[in-house]
Amino acid sequence: MELKIGVAELSKALGRSQGIVEKKSTMPILSHVLLEAKKGQLVVSATDLDLAVSSEHGESCEVLKEGALAVSARHLYEIVRALPEQQVTLKRANNNYLEVRSGPSEFRIVGLPAEDFPALPRFEKVTFTDVKPDELLEMIERTFFAVSNDETRYNLNGVYFEPSPEVLRLVATDGHRLSLSERPSSSTFGLKRGVILPKKGLQELRKLLAEAVEGGTEAGETKLGFVENSAIFRRPGVILSMRLIEGLFPDYRQVIPKQGEKVVRVGRDRLLETLRRISLLSTDKAHAVKLELGKGTLRVLSQNPDLGEAKEEVPVEYEGEPLKIGFNARYLMDVLAVVKSADVQLELADDLSPGVLHGGDEKDQGFTAVVMPMRI
Amino acid sequence: MTGRPRTILHLDLDAFYASVEQLDAPSLRGRPVIVGGPSRRGVVCAASYEARRFGVRSAMPTAQARKLCPDGVFLPPRFDRYSALSEQVFAIYRRYTPLVEPLSLDEAFLDVTASRALHGGGRDIAAAIKRAVRAECGLAVSAGVAEVKLAAKIATDLGKPDGLVEVPEGGVAAFLAPLPVGRLWGVGPVTEAALRKLGVTTIGDLGRTPDAALATAVGTSSARGLRALALGEDPRDVVPDEAAKSVGAEETFGEDLSGRAALERALLEQAGRVGRRLRAAGLAGHVVTLKVKYADFTLVTRRTTLANATDDDRAIFEAVRAQLERVDAERPVRLTGVSVSGFAGEAERGQLDLFQAALAPPPEVEKRRSLNAALDVLARRFGDRAVTRADLADEDGREDDG
Repeated sequence: MELKIGVAELSKALGRSQGIVEKKSTMPILSHVLLEAKKGQLVVSATDLDLAVSSEHGESCEVLKEGALAVSARHLYEIVRALPEQQVTLKRANNNYLEVRSGPSEFRIVGLPAEDFPALPRFEKVTFTDVKPDELLEMIERTFFAVSNDETRYNLNGVYFEPSPEVLRLVATDGHRLSLSERPSSSTFGLKRGVILPKKGLQELRKLLAEAVEGGTEAGETKLGFVENSAIFRRPGVILSMRLIEGLFPDYRQVIPKQGEKVVRVGRDRLLETLRRISLLSTDKAHAVKLELGKGTLRVLSQNPDLGEAKEEVPVEYEGEPLKIGFNARYLMDVLAVVKSADVQLELADDLSPGVLHGGDEKDQGFTAVVMPMRI
Repeated sequence: MTGRPRTILHLDLDAFYASVEQLDAPSLRGRPVIVGGPSRRGVVCAASYEARRFGVRSAMPTAQARKLCPDGVFLPPRFDRYSALSEQVFAIYRRYTPLVEPLSLDEAFLDVTASRALHGGGRDIAAAIKRAVRAECGLAVSAGVAEVKLAAKIATDLGKPDGLVEVPEGGVAAFLAPLPVGRLWGVGPVTEAALRKLGVTTIGDLGRTPDAALATAVGTSSARGLRALALGEDPRDVVPDEAAKSVGAEETFGEDLSGRAALERALLEQAGRVGRRLRAAGLAGHVVTLKVKYADFTLVTRRTTLANATDDDRAIFEAVRAQLERVDAERPVRLTGVSVSGFAGEAERGQLDLFQAALAPPPEVEKRRSLNAALDVLARRFGDRAVTRADLADEDGREDDG
């Protein structure tokens, strides 16, 4: 294997693999990327056996000799980003060494034979559906934060992707809060029921979607498909596949309350800033704050036996009965951070029932967040 | 040894459980008091010095103790009382240093190196603590003072009861030298016998024996460790109080139980005790462990992780009952135990669960919570069995434990 390629292009290829390679795996090969020079382009692939990405680079690439080799993903990436020139030559030397040459610099990196690299999943006959990168990205952003990190609740370690002939719905929950984003859509993606996309795969998907949004894409270039127990995302030059989480996503419909009796309207930025300030004095992990709702005002309070206490009043539109309720401020801030409207609407019932948040105008149509209170 | 010389205290309450019983019931003072499991298969937890004269020792089967000391006063343990007093005593220790490492309810190491400037030398501090514990709690505590943990602990043992033994600075090796090797940690009967063959009977002998000779008797790595200890080198620090890592209850049955129904009854009662202790300590945990010891002493444990930290009797019981499915319940069982660990942070406990709320509406959860609180109050005032679940009501004479 021998090829010349632009440093920027190679860096982009390697960047796509960094989130996927396993840093602490018992299988060293999984910390490697597979470099393949074939048909006039360089293909860089990485996998952790659940996720796989392959990135194809014909641009600014000249293959001098076809071949393949696996090398440490992290080391090659760090080297490439530090290279002095715009161009780099990669060459496989004896004993699976990779020679990296750029201007006056020369590196010889220990590699592993390409044959040791796990076979990448090959998917035949996938029915792909066009997706709009900006819309899908927004739906993921609006749900991703609510995904559970608790590995014992593996069925919550991802976002539920539920298409129907009328609407596409994404839902995530960690058992304490839930986030739902939906958009009109006529495609069922060939699915009979919803599937759970894993957190790590979504993280990579977000990056690729953001790349697409930034780089600008032609309609029909970005596609998502499902086959067997995998989801496959494709854009020109890159393909990402992820194994779906097997398990039953809980019935989210039953935990979304109907319209609450106490409806509060409050400025998004103001509430976000207040929560950020007041939660500075909350007890560490849970960021507990108390909300005291009265006519026209919302008082936000925090108390920490070791540090002290804080309070702030926020003007709100509210005419109902007074209510005191506790929340994890972070759960509220996560929601406010993805709301686009100037105002948010908070619906409450009592101090032990879930609160519901919606954006105040059509910019946040289809977005619902549910947050369970804390006992105070 | 490296670094500045340290001053370490080892403090051990004399015949603690038995002393507490004598403290609470003055009629028992001067009489042989033996605290132990009441069933015929229980063991002695503590024996007063009066009882020790008859040869009664901790960990001896109660039945044997009865033979040795037929006139002894045999009492079941009251751990709630012991731990309350223990807390009072440890609070006194903490007036002198924050570096208090509890070893059990009645035993602790204190590092008072930094406290000397304020409170005087190790001996003065130990004497002050002894006086305070006597005056405020009515209990005798034995103290050992030394530069290392090992020597401090041995010093305490030598001075018991109500003793205060100080190993002078730089004198650890000399202090240890005349003592039998069996006093060292890690020297059990087997090692002791192997050393005796080398002519090593005292700790001093051990210090003088060449490494090579020791290594052939006890292995290379033990040889190095033993020699270091013999020379008084014990670099271990006093590690301050670590919060409890689990709360549990277990029970050795008077007669072996078998069958799921019988075991579930025992577990229900144990889950209740664990729940009560968790709530008393203000804790809630994610991990529930079931322990089953069969009549042939084989032990199995099964654990499960709950999505939500719990301190609720019912939730704990449901979790262990599910684990019971995973063990053979038809073999005769000698002991079962229930414990909860993986404690949630204080704040996390206040967080309500979305799905639990949907499944069991909040009023239900709240009802359970207030029921638990009410029962806890009754149990504190009238004892653990003041109120019993109907399905446990015909049980009595159960053995309590810690």
